[in-house]
Amino acid sequence: MATVAVSKISEIDRRDRRFGWLLTAPGLASLTLVITFPLFFTVFVSGFDYTLLHRSFDTFIGIENYRSAFAENYFGEALWVTLKFVVAVVALEFLIGFTVALMLNSVGRFKDIYYLILLMPLLINPVVVALIWRMFLHPELGIVNYLLGLVGIAKVNWLGDPVIAFWTVVLTDIWHQVSFMIVLLLAGLSALPKEPYEAARMDGASTLQSFIHVTLPLMRPVIVVTLLIRLIFAVKTFDLVYVMTRGGPGTATDLISYFIYRSAFFGLDIGQASAISVLLLVIVLALTAYLYRYMRSLA
Amino acid sequence: MKRLLLAVGLMLAMTGITRAETINILMETVPDTQFIKDLLPEFKAATGIDVEIEAISYIDMHSKLVPQLTTPSGGYDAIVVDFYWVAEFTKAGWLMPLDDLIKQDNVDTSVYVPSLMSLVGTVNGVTYMLPFYNYSMGIIYRKDLLADSKEQEAFKAKYGTDLKIPVTWAEYRQQVEFFTRDTDGDGNRDFYGTINQGQRGDCICMQWSNYLYANGGQYHDANWKATFNNEAGLKAIEDFKQDIAEHGPTGSESFCFDEANSVFAQGKAYSFVTFNILLSGFDDPASSTVVGKADIAPNPIGGLNGGWGWAIPNSSPNKDAAWTFIKWVESKDIVKKRTLAGGAPTQAWVFDDPDVVAKRPYMDKLKTLVATAQEFPTFTYTVDFVEVLGRELNLAVTGQKDAKEALDLAASELDALAKKDGLLKE
Repeated sequence: MATVAVSKISEIDRRDRRFGWLLTAPGLASLTLVITFPLFFTVFVSGFDYTLLHRSFDTFIGIENYRSAFAENYFGEALWVTLKFVVAVVALEFLIGFTVALMLNSVGRFKDIYYLILLMPLLINPVVVALIWRMFLHPELGIVNYLLGLVGIAKVNWLGDPVIAFWTVVLTDIWHQVSFMIVLLLAGLSALPKEPYEAARMDGASTLQSFIHVTLPLMRPVIVVTLLIRLIFAVKTFDLVYVMTRGGPGTATDLISYFIYRSAFFGLDIGQASAISVLLLVIVLALTAYLYRYMRSLA
Repeated sequence: MKRLLLAVGLMLAMTGITRAETINILMETVPDTQFIKDLLPEFKAATGIDVEIEAISYIDMHSKLVPQLTTPSGGYDAIVVDFYWVAEFTKAGWLMPLDDLIKQDNVDTSVYVPSLMSLVGTVNGVTYMLPFYNYSMGIIYRKDLLADSKEQEAFKAKYGTDLKIPVTWAEYRQQVEFFTRDTDGDGNRDFYGTINQGQRGDCICMQWSNYLYANGGQYHDANWKATFNNEAGLKAIEDFKQDIAEHGPTGSESFCFDEANSVFAQGKAYSFVTFNILLSGFDDPASSTVVGKADIAPNPIGGLNGGWGWAIPNSSPNKDAAWTFIKWVESKDIVKKRTLAGGAPTQAWVFDDPDVVAKRPYMDKLKTLVATAQEFPTFTYTVDFVEVLGRELNLAVTGQKDAKEALDLAASELDALAKKDGLLKE
């Protein structure tokens, strides 16, 4: 009797599992099609002398595309600019985002209105954001320099000065993306349990102490995920520099994604562009793994 | 059942009859594209073919076209090809030779200005394109200021020469200096002698080429050996830098032609070296405060030549309809209508057409401008070279790199690319 029951359960189990596979099959198939295939194809192409003028896989050149990428003028520069950019936007957006999220968390009234205002930039297409800001920041006819002029500040060369242009792009990115941080962190904050705070207050902890010893440790998983996602997106930033600066002045805002784009569509060298993309993927994966493990170890 | 089948059959037949042919064309958002759009109802009436024009900005065109051209059946029936891409597209075998069609329909290609037919028409004796419009560069200036008697007196007093349409580069730069002013006396200039477009990439390359030619420079010699890293090239960078620093608006290092254009349209500058196609826009009160005040003069030693050609890609899904459209759009009647609307023609006779001249008195200047314009290095890797040159020029102009070093690097890159293309022999 017992054996019959067990086999019945396992039969149901098997059917469940089969049904589960059946349901996930379309999803898995499309994932393979749109993610795994292009990924492996990119790795494959990076080993060949494959250009848009000569589209064939008849010349296998091994790691030559990787070697030639490093030999390109200003490739190291683009990597360095990308690193600076990613650190700047992720760090600043986190600081601003967390501060605003903490402030909003204690707000009771008009929360929806604040949400709406904060979310608006995030809903705008990055190309549109870049175009809007390029117009606002026109040194001669833009509204920003006009307003600064009213209070006696000389015209700022927003996009023509190498140092200022870098920070202009960083600030535009912050304007556009900071709400992403706010929304995610705020979701984490509002889900925190009340009890630890009450206990901390009973023990006489100050606001700062309960922030450091209660909020931060509890928020750690949310912070890790938020930083990770933002970091990955920041490495891929393309639209802003493409529209606002084209990597200039000089190489001041020459991000690696734009470098890859030029290699593929101006240099027509799909092999080399694929090689740099693979390198970028490896770097992002390594960064992600490191950050994830580091944060886990803290917990 | 029979009735049902009959009804379905009838419906299918009717949709077959009523479904109009449609051709898709990718074009740039420039005045000439709009003029063509305005004329499309005439084409529809004559042929029954619908034309869908997708107009986008220049910077997106190349990357949008290339994937469509590499597939066996692309999304565009006809395309317009910038002179930058001619060698690349033909070498890659993406464009269909038009010679047979031209012969079959007796299309006269001798009507085109020879320099434009060679720029965006034929490659090694094969006709791949029919020239569409030219965007040769010249000096757009304020004719009201040039004709102002007070200005003329002051100019004469300062330089000892007459204020008139410049015939030398030195004379033009005197005028640039003369008209740069601080009108409100706050210590900062607010009216500019000229406006530069110094943005990295294509923008700076195009405008700087005029400075190079004006200083007697050339990109390469007859054997394709780069020559622009010489005295003329250095002087061109020096002039360009000086104009940005002393005669132009703040931030011109990051301008492309649209930013420069807005400054001129707002009446804040005397002149700028730019594309002739922009001139008619300054007479539009909706976007300009200098209506009736702008005119054009050819660059003293000839500016940069530029043009677009109509082509049929090999990936075109409907080559016949595309050819019908190209024949129509380049027919005399349509070319004249487009020119009357403010377009930039490529057929020689239009520049002298009495109706056109009556409406646009500066046509003779445009004719000289096109006839004397000089060619940018056009070869398979033009787009690649433009990126390198644009980066190096921008580095030099923004003071991040020594001008000689920048020009040397760009020159060695031109040599390497020309060698790769089989043009430069050791």
